[in-house]
Amino acid sequence: MVAIDEICDDEWAEWYRLTPQERWDRSQALWPTFLALGGTLDAEPDTHSPFFDADAWRPVPVDGRPGVRVLRRSGI
Amino acid sequence: MGGQACVFYGAAEFSRDTDLAILSSSDNLECFRAALAGLDAECIALPPFQPEYLLRGHAVHFRCHHPDAVGMRIDVMSVMRGVAPFDRLWARRTTIQTADGDAYDLLSLADLVQAKKTQRDKDWPMLRRLVEADYLQYRAQSTPGHIEFWLNQLRTPVLLVELAVRHPDVAADVARHRPLVAFAVAGDPIAVQDALAVEEATERDADRRYWQPLRAELETLRHRRP
Repeated sequence: MVAIDEICDDEWAEWYRLTPQERWDRSQALWPTFLALGGTLDAEPDTHSPFFDADAWRPVPVDGRPGVRVLRRSGI
Repeated sequence: MGGQACVFYGAAEFSRDTDLAILSSSDNLECFRAALAGLDAECIALPPFQPEYLLRGHAVHFRCHHPDAVGMRIDVMSVMRGVAPFDRLWARRTTIQTADGDAYDLLSLADLVQAKKTQRDKDWPMLRRLVEADYLQYRAQSTPGHIEFWLNQLRTPVLLVELAVRHPDVAADVARHRPLVAFAVAGDPIAVQDALAVEEATERDADRRYWQPLRAELETLRHRRP
């Protein structure tokens, strides 16, 4: 019988050995950390998708506020 | 039907958008509109959120503005290439319940695998992982249904060889419509690998051809956009 570690590395082997419910729970547990580190729910555009529309996609700023504007620019 | 379902079944994807397969009936779409309103979601990109687009196989895209879900993307489809109609998807879905009592309905593994046969690069390693995980989890207590599913969908040459050598009669039957299984029966993982690449290229090409008229329709809509 082909062993798990013959077809993947240790990290994947550990993931495969979890039950589906355990995988779900581990994935859910990542969210608080991701958001606490400043992660955003706004997904990057999938440019490989057949329905990607470059005109429609615009990123939401990470802090959820309008982007940085130049208020004053000094001369050189 | 997207990243979270892949995680559950054994692939791994940190996906931030939410992909939903929904029944495109007027009652259900009304319920869905109410849910979108609760999330303060706007339809972004094209096509517009109208049932005829969903029924033709388009995806409709939303972005949420509710403070608890700012920026979250929701993509909705009702019809997918090569995937069974919604009533069959619903009948064989997987329902899971979390510790806090929330229930989630996921595409069955077989339907998810079918839905992932797209033109996108990222879906193919995912596909392999999904079936690989299922095989490794259940091969010791497999049913005839499992064996047929794996012979039709496995994309890991050494596992396909192992399975085909163990079940040569079923494998010979499957090889009639999936010829690469004959290489597995013969114990030749290199030939299986080469044939899998051809199979993938064929599917990706079929997906591109499926999307051609839909992309043309989107392009027309974009030109009409004010």
